[in-house]
Amino acid sequence: MTSTSTLEKFYAILRRDLLTAIRHRSGFIVTMVGLLTELAAFYFLSRAIGPGFRPGGVEFFPFILVGTGLYTFFVMSAQAFLNSMQEAQQTGTLEVLMTTSTAPAELVVLSAISAFAGNMLNLVVYLFAGVALFRAAIHANFLSVIAVLIFSLAIALAVGITAAALQVAFQKGSAVLWLFGSGLWFLSGMMFPIQSLPWPLQLISRALPLTYAIDGMRKALLDGQSMITMAPTLAVLAGFSVTLLPLALAALGLSLRRARQDGTLSFY
Amino acid sequence: MLLPDAGSVRVGGFDTRRNASEVRRQVGIAIATERSFFARLSARENLDFFATLDDVARSERATRVNEVLQNVGLEEQADTLVMKFSSGMYQRLGIARALVKRPSVLLLDEPTRSMDAATTAHFWTTIRGLAERDTTILLATHNFAEAAAVGDRLLLLHRGELRADRKLAENESSEALRSFYFRTTGEIDEANIKIGSPADLNRSMHL
Repeated sequence: MTSTSTLEKFYAILRRDLLTAIRHRSGFIVTMVGLLTELAAFYFLSRAIGPGFRPGGVEFFPFILVGTGLYTFFVMSAQAFLNSMQEAQQTGTLEVLMTTSTAPAELVVLSAISAFAGNMLNLVVYLFAGVALFRAAIHANFLSVIAVLIFSLAIALAVGITAAALQVAFQKGSAVLWLFGSGLWFLSGMMFPIQSLPWPLQLISRALPLTYAIDGMRKALLDGQSMITMAPTLAVLAGFSVTLLPLALAALGLSLRRARQDGTLSFY
Repeated sequence: MLLPDAGSVRVGGFDTRRNASEVRRQVGIAIATERSFFARLSARENLDFFATLDDVARSERATRVNEVLQNVGLEEQADTLVMKFSSGMYQRLGIARALVKRPSVLLLDEPTRSMDAATTAHFWTTIRGLAERDTTILLATHNFAEAAAVGDRLLLLHRGELRADRKLAENESSEALRSFYFRTTGEIDEANIKIGSPADLNRSMHL
């Protein structure tokens, strides 16, 4: 028996997800229509508010474009990954996957990266459509944009893996994710600057990684700030990444081990 | 799949807790859950996917997938999306999945439950061939005839306890196995209770 490389396994998982998405044509069309409808709604909202409102010195439409794009990426990718875990529990695929010679943690992480890569593509399409169709003004520094995207992916992976760990351990991943999504919705500065919040809520806001991801993306994409200029924001994002990802993986390892001990792997 | 509550389990010299990956590499499992496949992938794509995760080398994968599809009689449906499969086809695909990594231990859970007679006969020929090539087959079944026909050792589990572990005698009949089961477990064989006239039955049902 020859060992298959991690890269080859990742390709197999990515191919599975891609084929499933392509063959689920209606799902793809609904996602694209939803995405464009959302953009149109924000565009007309920003026109209704008028050009006088410039949070952080930028026009409102590009401001909200970046905020909603990153928020949707965080919440939807974690949700998509959790859904795939729940589906695997319901159909019994999870149990079978856990009997393959690929380590359970490796399998979950590769599946998560694949799910998140799909949503990363949605984010890029969303931002591109905002610029191309609705003429959002950008002054991008692409190196800084890539740096923010990488850290955002790492943090979003940590959130998704934590939700999966809670799903396996307590079958409550969806509830936790709902709570997380609701909190982020108004605390992360997605729709308006966090300075508009009362100071106790601002403190909570400053403890959330998404706040820094959104702020960093606005600086990189709308302001064209270099990596050196935005080093403090990138340092915070790096700190969240290196702390949250190992913690999420440890939580997942623990919950999988417990589920295999108790025989509750397929409980949902 | 599961970790032991107490004690240890060794497969091929490897401990299931300490060398889990080595154990999983050696064990193929065909579980009773029918829909444990990716519905929008074809049978071939599903098997290729699981073979990759089971460390089957890329150069061998296509050959092995074709071989196991043929063994379970699904070669003509190889490129059909599994969402269009019947229960029996799912069951056969599950067995193909367990075989694709050429395991040294094969766990089968009621494998022929939804198979037709011809596929069942072909399947057992394949399984006997594997057993002759030093693959250990562990078959979980409630079918006395099947156990008598293909087994060489009997482990009787009853309410989570191992109640018997013995060799099966040459030409041991399914009836002999059946009576051994009821004798060992102390359960009542209702099929052998003699019922009198319909009036007797009617009376007993109103007791």
